[in-house]
Amino acid sequence: MPAEVVVTGIGMVTPLGATAAESAKAWEEGLFASCSPLPELAGTPLESSPTARLPAMDPAQRLSGSRRMLKYMSGAAVLGCVAAREALAEAAVKERFPSDRVGLYAGTGLAAASVDEVHEMVAQSIGDDGRLSCDLLGKRGLSATNPLLSFKILANMPPCLISILEGIRGPNLIFTPWEGQTAAAILEAWQAVSSGKADCALAGAADTAAHPSTFVYLRQAGLLRQEEFPASAAAYLVFERADAAVKAQRRIHARIIDARLFPAKEGIVDPLSARMGRTFAAAPAILCGLACLSKQSKISISGVDAQTFEMEFAPA
Amino acid sequence: MKRVAITGFGIVSPIGIGRQEFWNALTQGMSGIAPISLFDARSFQVQLAGEIKTHPDLPQKAASAAREDRKVGFAYLACAQSMEQAGLTSFDEGTLLHLGTSLETFDLEKVIIDGKPDFKAVATRNLNNGPALQVPLDTAARLLADAFGRPGRSLTNCSACAAGTQAIGHSFQAVRSGRFRKAVCGGFDSMLNPLGVGGFQLLGALTTDNARGSSACRPFDSERQGTVLGEGAAIFVLEPLEEAASAGKDILAEILGYASTFDAHSLSAPDPEGSGAIRAMSGALSDAGISAEQIMHVNAHGTGTLLNDQTEAHAVRHVLGKHWERVPVSATKSMTGHLIAAAGAVETGACLLPIVRGILPPNPSLERVGTGCELNHVRNPGERFLGGYVLKNSFGFGGQNASLVMRKCDG
Repeated sequence: MPAEVVVTGIGMVTPLGATAAESAKAWEEGLFASCSPLPELAGTPLESSPTARLPAMDPAQRLSGSRRMLKYMSGAAVLGCVAAREALAEAAVKERFPSDRVGLYAGTGLAAASVDEVHEMVAQSIGDDGRLSCDLLGKRGLSATNPLLSFKILANMPPCLISILEGIRGPNLIFTPWEGQTAAAILEAWQAVSSGKADCALAGAADTAAHPSTFVYLRQAGLLRQEEFPASAAAYLVFERADAAVKAQRRIHARIIDARLFPAKEGIVDPLSARMGRTFAAAPAILCGLACLSKQSKISISGVDAQTFEMEFAPA
Repeated sequence: MKRVAITGFGIVSPIGIGRQEFWNALTQGMSGIAPISLFDARSFQVQLAGEIKTHPDLPQKAASAAREDRKVGFAYLACAQSMEQAGLTSFDEGTLLHLGTSLETFDLEKVIIDGKPDFKAVATRNLNNGPALQVPLDTAARLLADAFGRPGRSLTNCSACAAGTQAIGHSFQAVRSGRFRKAVCGGFDSMLNPLGVGGFQLLGALTTDNARGSSACRPFDSERQGTVLGEGAAIFVLEPLEEAASAGKDILAEILGYASTFDAHSLSAPDPEGSGAIRAMSGALSDAGISAEQIMHVNAHGTGTLLNDQTEAHAVRHVLGKHWERVPVSATKSMTGHLIAAAGAVETGACLLPIVRGILPPNPSLERVGTGCELNHVRNPGERFLGGYVLKNSFGFGGQNASLVMRKCDG
């Protein structure tokens, strides 16, 4: 018989707050994200388009003890690692579970390469005809490129960095790039704990939709309506068996009653979008986190990949 | 719990398109590694790859998608082959589609406007003309849904070199548990573009021993210097074994066990103790309900990099214990190159060669076994498989590990 699963840790970095508690408080108070245009897009048709601003946060401080890894991290990896650490710390996962019994089930958003890094590579590789020269790329462009670029654009790197920083060694799945993929990861995490495949699972996602290149892509692809604005964010939740949480006297945010992922009947429905912005892959995890903290009983979201995710919670 | 059968297998690889051509090439120990022809790589330190040289015709939509991102075309072809073999024409709500892939394709040429890199101009000029710079990783899943109908669930797995094996393993568990009636799963990839090859060159993961030509990828060899990138796709249809047998379907193999783990050690180097790899293999054996002495063949991850091969050999010896000297180990990246997210799927297809034809794939570039790489390596083409359980390993950048156990269906 499947075991009852509860949420004992929540971590978030959203435009509404640099922690889960701050985000939930602002959400409950009905606040809106602060927005501003991206300076990188000045002089383009997007120069006055708003994007959500993240609250001030010092990654080196939030990831103390792991500072040397920051150079390997994309923006999404930083946000994901910060949110994951907050969730894991709240649930005291390191102290309570063997590392190989902790699973990691994650979503990741579109890759967002640094425009500056790509710019220099390409600038060094333009031939006399004004086009990309593979000859010059091999001779000059690559040596002008940060050798760590691949680590920043491979889609599995943000969750892998979480596993390295936090010592998570258990079963794992990483899906990309839209809301339904993170929803599937959350569903898998719930089932992994419920079935006993893992004692504990970290589930969530990070997405940097407000990165200039991602914002441009989203507008070009018609995935952001005129009235919508993109937001970068991350959220992770810790799932464990109810009996383990009770025995360890952990704070239980919510019990998971049910979760479903099925083909959407209508278009995109993102309850966060009006106040927080579109956070794409991160949105299902943020919604779950806010629901747990705000004692909501149900969430529902339909994303770009035309799948609807519903999850039901009960108070602890 | 249902038993799970492979009823369809489609493949596009550097050594053959379609399962018979692929298995024939493996049987002969034929390498698909050659100088890069897709772009001018003469000034790159890395000049070799396993390219797809011939391209069967694609339907218009697939051909259009493949022009933007060639790996999407490979996924379509492999999927169509596997569906045909399994006697399927469409996905339905009981179908899980789970595909592994790795890196979005960025077209560097498109960043250049009027002779200089100009991101703002790209944003300005193309705002109403569709995406300009990158192709998202779910493009193939959307194309396949368009071609074969909407599946009950569509997953795009991005677990780097472990993605293909993860996709198959997770799909196996989903069909075994009855969550889905069937699964279409595997991996597709191509990093054979200037940014992909250049990026991996910068990581130092690729061999620059270009003079070796077709034998440059040398898993477990004392002179291995790094891996060689390849491209392609392998996609499988998984169905409940009893239902497939009742329907008179051709059953290629039965999958029995799967596990995934993290090293939690380094982004690019394996844990030198191989603990993540050991736990993945042991977990797959446990999931299959078998012991190490029942393993009769291992298809290694075997990249030809200094660190992976030594660590994997140690881990395989640890898991097999005293039996390691008698268990033949194949390393087929020596012939195909490293297909990254498609590697595990293509090599699962290579595992079907001994299961279906009774012949072990060789490691033809192996001349002298490297220190610490001691295993019962399959050196020569045509060696016979004695039957039994087969273990497939995949270990990815970022420290993700996945292992599968399969065998010939005993009815």
